[in-house]
Amino acid sequence: MADKANFERDALQYSRQLYSAALRMARNPADAEDLVQETFLKAYRAYDTFEEGTNLKAWLYRILTNTYINKYRKDSRRPNEVDLGDVEDLYLYRRIGSEDTAEASRTTEDRVLDNLVESDIKTAVEELPENFRLPVILADLEGFSYKEIAEILDIPIGTVMSRLHRGRKAMQKRLWEFASQRGLLPENAKRP
Amino acid sequence: MKHDCDDAIGQLYQYLDAEVDEPTAARVKHHLDDCSGCFDSFDFERRLKLVIKDCLTEDMPEELEQKVIALIREESR
Repeated sequence: MADKANFERDALQYSRQLYSAALRMARNPADAEDLVQETFLKAYRAYDTFEEGTNLKAWLYRILTNTYINKYRKDSRRPNEVDLGDVEDLYLYRRIGSEDTAEASRTTEDRVLDNLVESDIKTAVEELPENFRLPVILADLEGFSYKEIAEILDIPIGTVMSRLHRGRKAMQKRLWEFASQRGLLPENAKRP
Repeated sequence: MKHDCDDAIGQLYQYLDAEVDEPTAARVKHHLDDCSGCFDSFDFERRLKLVIKDCLTEDMPEELEQKVIALIREESR
């Protein structure tokens, strides 16, 4: 069992990372700040139930995620089970990498990757329905393993994989739209 | 070849997430060494993943860290 006296030393090092995730969950800075404070307060109160030597970072993210879900999900028990249409594999790559020569494709790929605006990527994540957004945040922002995400979200690992993969593909579709609007794509890559 | 490409693309995310077992990783890697089309697509996805991580990372407001510390110390009294 963990000693509360060590909480500051051991847990607070994750606050910066937690804030990034909280902001992508709550989608505005004021709510993200509340979420981070509430998470640490709950974690501190429960710290004597944390088993020392186990995964503290994942434990904190589990509290963050549950706090977010309880606070912001209107219908509190049922997850927001929105479905995403099926998007093909490599959606973005196949649309921008389809030029006549490898060099031309590479140039377009570089242009898209270098010029996608930070706000476009944030929007693409934030627009994902919650059941896809949380796995994407945990994997792509935090680098948690599928198993850790399954534990944090309390869903089977197969569900983590399918939501993560489908969430990423839906994001790519949105990024392709942004890239197109910003004139980053050649003419022949603009059709859906 | 087509079959190998489908197999590799099917493993794309698990491979980039380091979630495949060793034989599968070796099989995918072997295919990527042989197939420039798949190599390019994997490389694009790998780079996109880095860009996304980078764009989603935020600086925490300085005051927030202080607020959290104050909150914990208050609670510990």
